[in-house]
Amino acid sequence: MRKRLHGVVVAGAAGAVIVALSCAMGPLSAQAPTAGQFPPYQPPRGTDGNPDVSGFWQAFVTANIDLLDHDAQPGPTPETMGAYGAWPAGQGIVEGGEIPYRPEALARKQQNADNRMTVNISSDARRHETGDPELKCYRPGVPRATYMPFPFQIIQSQQYILIVHEYANALRTIYMDDHKEAPAESWMGWSNGRWDGNTLVVDTAGFVPYTWFDRAGNHHSDALRVVERYTPVSPYHLMYEATIEDPKVFTRPWKIRFPLYRRMEQNVQLLDFNCVPFTEELLYRHLRRQPTQ
Amino acid sequence: MKDRLNPSFLAAVVAVVLSLGSAWVAAQAPPASSASTPWSVVRTPHGQPDLQGYWTSLSFTPLERPEQYGTREFLTDQEVEEIFKAGIQRSYDLTFANSADTPVYDATVYALDAWQNGVRPNRRTSLIVDPPNGRLPPLTPEAQARRGRARPPQETFNGPEDLGTGVRCFTFGGPPIPAGSNYNQNTFILQGKDHVVLEYEWGSVTRVVPLDGRPHLSRNIRPWRGDSRGRWDGDTLVVETTNFRPSVTPQNSNAATLRLTERLTRIDENTIEYRYTVDDPSTWARPWTAIIPLSKVEGPLFEYACHEGNNGLVNILEGARAQEKR
Repeated sequence: MRKRLHGVVVAGAAGAVIVALSCAMGPLSAQAPTAGQFPPYQPPRGTDGNPDVSGFWQAFVTANIDLLDHDAQPGPTPETMGAYGAWPAGQGIVEGGEIPYRPEALARKQQNADNRMTVNISSDARRHETGDPELKCYRPGVPRATYMPFPFQIIQSQQYILIVHEYANALRTIYMDDHKEAPAESWMGWSNGRWDGNTLVVDTAGFVPYTWFDRAGNHHSDALRVVERYTPVSPYHLMYEATIEDPKVFTRPWKIRFPLYRRMEQNVQLLDFNCVPFTEELLYRHLRRQPTQ
Repeated sequence: MKDRLNPSFLAAVVAVVLSLGSAWVAAQAPPASSASTPWSVVRTPHGQPDLQGYWTSLSFTPLERPEQYGTREFLTDQEVEEIFKAGIQRSYDLTFANSADTPVYDATVYALDAWQNGVRPNRRTSLIVDPPNGRLPPLTPEAQARRGRARPPQETFNGPEDLGTGVRCFTFGGPPIPAGSNYNQNTFILQGKDHVVLEYEWGSVTRVVPLDGRPHLSRNIRPWRGDSRGRWDGDTLVVETTNFRPSVTPQNSNAATLRLTERLTRIDENTIEYRYTVDDPSTWARPWTAIIPLSKVEGPLFEYACHEGNNGLVNILEGARAQEKR
């Protein structure tokens, strides 16, 4: 009897050692992951030897509402929208918790926020002076498109990486060689990309000045330049960082950072969010024929 | 006022394009008269035939064959040259007619004319190649009744709903690829490991076609450009599209029964044969097929931010309201 117990004790000890060893191993361990931390990771590579970042990705921060910390709020017209129209709370994604505005640009941000629901459509650029462009279904620009609550798809070749957004079918073409300055301004900017180890670095400029960074009125000028870094940190996550530079609006560059999640639903694909029809009444009802008295 | 371009410059443009276009014209000729060496397929790093790059679908060829040609599929050399020259001249005259009377708009500033946009001559008498008469097949009785019930063209504009889906920036239609003789008939093709992307400059439309054999969406979801699935058939990319939306179908066909099949084959360095078949038994007695030539052009494609800058819709409605006040 004593011998058998001894055998059980030895087996138990060996078992404990095995469990301890497997806890110390990498991603295959049975430990729960720690938020904000990723073990070292080498991504699969494409035929060109570069990391393969293709697939369907989505952000789950609420930065589209406000890049900085924000509490839950009622949203527009709560008397009809109730909880449907309310916006959730979120922790900010700006390093240092502050956006370094020039004083006059900060005043403009406040003005934007006060007028975000004010829509005045004329057949010229004055249409951009008030109202959140997201409300009007205009292209979100960069980096806002990255943290809109919609998926996007990355399709990758050696010369080009395309990012197709479900929101408004907005497209970004990243030129991986043959880098040029933007030949014309655009809503989604002109992007030149390169690999820095495992990180895709995308340098984008040539923006129209009309996009906002969020619903809180954070804004930029035509001097905006965004340098993004996309780093695979697990088979299911990219870590995303962007440095935003605009000397006409900010006193220095500033950074945002959050993870992107791989959409894992079977047969996931981009659907359509063509919001243009949804905005017609809002934008054009003032041009409608009025019934005669 | 801009100086008119020298007429002999225009003749030189035509001559250069006709000589550059000869590979495309020869490639389309009936096999017996073609002496060109067969294209040897270049492959992407993933082993797929390479369709990538920038292509224009501009041509002066009508969708349906003019009746004078009967069942003749190809033009003579002289006819090719005459039709091409006439098309160039038309687009040139339209530009300068515009700028002579309305100096505000000069299409040459933005290189928007066909003659500046890489239009090539096309030896075909029509884009439609089947039925053999090059014309759309007869409509079914159901389709005729549907046309009879259709809304007549609007003459008054009470609101945005009285305007077309293009003017409202909802969509410019397609697939299939548009193939007019206007501007922005440019397409960019990119091949990833298991998706092909077709980006149309007209309206900045991006179609992403999976090649992994997944099923189509259910009938309950109808994207604005339908739902496409691709596969390789030898060196030809075959794209099947279903799930069309009712207001966005070729020739106003029936979205519930429509199937579109596109076939893309690279036939030489500068040319893709883009062949599409429209199959809708509730609209036409039989399927019909067209070939649109895709000719290589230089990139890039520019963003077409239609809705963001939609002055046209505003101006049309403001004009209609102003007219009412008279």
